[in-house]
Amino acid sequence: MLQYILRRVVVAVPMLLGAMSIVFFTMRILPGDPCVAIMGDQATTEALADCTKNLGLHRPLAVQYVDYLWRSVQFDFGNSLRQGYPVSEYIARMFPHTLVLVLSSAVVAALIGIPIGIISALKRRSPLIDYPLRIIALLGLSMPVFWLGILLLIVFSLHLNIFPLIGGGDLDGVIHMLKNGEAFTSPRDFLAAVGDVLHHLALPALALGFTLAATVSRLSRSAMLEVISQDYIRTARAKGQVERAVIYKHAFRNMMVPLLTIIGLFVAVALTGTVLTETVFTRPGLGKMLVDSIGARDYPLAQGAITVFTMIIIVVNLAVDMLYAVVDPRITYR
Amino acid sequence: MAISRRADSLDLGVPLDREGAHRSLGGHLRRWLPIGIGILMAVAMIVLAAAAPLIAPLSPSAQYSDAVLKGPGAVERHLLGTDEFGRDILSRIIWGARVSLQVGLASVFWGFLVGVPLGILAGTRGGALETAIMRSADMLMAFPTLLLALIIVTALGGTLGNEIMAIGIALTPNFVRLARSLALTIREQDYIMAARALGGGQLRVMARHVFPNALYALVVVATLYIATAIRTEASLSFLGLGIPPPTPSWGNILSEGRQYIKCCPWITTFSGLAIMLAVLAFNLVGDALRDLLDPRLRGE
Repeated sequence: MLQYILRRVVVAVPMLLGAMSIVFFTMRILPGDPCVAIMGDQATTEALADCTKNLGLHRPLAVQYVDYLWRSVQFDFGNSLRQGYPVSEYIARMFPHTLVLVLSSAVVAALIGIPIGIISALKRRSPLIDYPLRIIALLGLSMPVFWLGILLLIVFSLHLNIFPLIGGGDLDGVIHMLKNGEAFTSPRDFLAAVGDVLHHLALPALALGFTLAATVSRLSRSAMLEVISQDYIRTARAKGQVERAVIYKHAFRNMMVPLLTIIGLFVAVALTGTVLTETVFTRPGLGKMLVDSIGARDYPLAQGAITVFTMIIIVVNLAVDMLYAVVDPRITYR
Repeated sequence: MAISRRADSLDLGVPLDREGAHRSLGGHLRRWLPIGIGILMAVAMIVLAAAAPLIAPLSPSAQYSDAVLKGPGAVERHLLGTDEFGRDILSRIIWGARVSLQVGLASVFWGFLVGVPLGILAGTRGGALETAIMRSADMLMAFPTLLLALIIVTALGGTLGNEIMAIGIALTPNFVRLARSLALTIREQDYIMAARALGGGQLRVMARHVFPNALYALVVVATLYIATAIRTEASLSFLGLGIPPPTPSWGNILSEGRQYIKCCPWITTFSGLAIMLAVLAFNLVGDALRDLLDPRLRGE
């Protein structure tokens, strides 16, 4: 077990390093001089040379590369070209917004996807139930999240006026209240702030959650199909257990194990989804920050955002592999 | 990697249609209907794209000053309405099919062409070469498809060729992994040993025996990746990183229409519908093919 975990970590480190190298070198071939981007076309040669020196771009590429790796490990991504302040600060401010979006869409995806998957597997011989459910799943899989988002906005924000059109609510305020204890001294204000955040979160979470639910339902379906053909299910039935108990007590718990493995995949898909979802709903977050920074040619910010995205995915996958080994002792490293 | 992805788990060596002989009409219908609908939709899409100049009622770039932001049918010649420049949405969507399908098909072709030989090489040869290829693939896999394509397109600029290359590169590691896992199974088969015993060289065994036996499963997955590629292209265009306007692509029509969702929701609605139908078509075909190939997923 320990050996398995160690080997997974050993594999993850070069992967992280490689992914970060890809980010670094791609950012270096981007068109346009970052200094021109900061100072404008009219800047004098001296000013540009000064800027190049300040950003450390005059150093050999290898030195810049090692420097980037070393700083990234310490979460130091330099300063944003447009905003001036440190990229890490910006990322720290945006991260909670993306985190709540990913978590809430995961809840939506699980609430929609798992029941659909289970029912679809159990009723696979009755086409009137299985087929419509599989079609819903297929639609969810084929529907681009940005389109679903726009449709939701048209109906619920513009026509029915139930949900806000843009923004993410005062999440910073909620976090602040939690930190300084105001959440407990004036719970009414706190609940109002949380309500506001949820109000802003509802449509984005629904849009992203629905598109993710498709993946969850298909995996739940195949996990359930696999589990109900096992011997222990036959044993449970042979013991005379009622079908409901067989499904909920025996099958459901066991199908959750294979579902665990997809958390890693899920996080990757959800993070990509946040790029599109946050853009559609004009919500603050890492994804929107990435798109905006590319548009503004703010390379340190873009580089920081992509590095953080990659780090999250690799670390989550590592964590899931370990969790999986803990939950299912039959797994050994090949 | 300890955990194999689902796409890797296609089972070969299983008779394709065990019960086919005594299947009822309903069973046949259930099995072939989705694939039929999917193929029909995909073919219709390809015809639409190929024959866009003949089928599109108007030019995609022609502006009609008398019909700016008109709804579907408000002006007779504009069946799906017009955009902010008075351009015909239907014609733009038909022309936009070209971009989506070109990127969808060409990038998957790229991924296949680069990824499959590498994967088969890794699976058949093994050793340090396998480690090198698989670690590189893992590194690229750390990036979700859209993110990797987004980085590459940002670096190279949004042209049709760059988009194809970016999405192609992003898909390549998937083909490498799948081809390797298939090759690992195939290389243990008796016929491979026989081919080797007959004096078949490594390259010959790979090309004449491993590849043809992996092809079926690879094509199924390639079909599903066409859907992914089309969705990725639309996403890139939506984010403003794809093919720049005025060339119509479904993603950029939708992106331009975003500002007008209050007055003129038809722009985003129809372009999004086109994306969904295209993705759905290839998902349907790929899914149905996979169900046919892998009886375990059918749960029968």
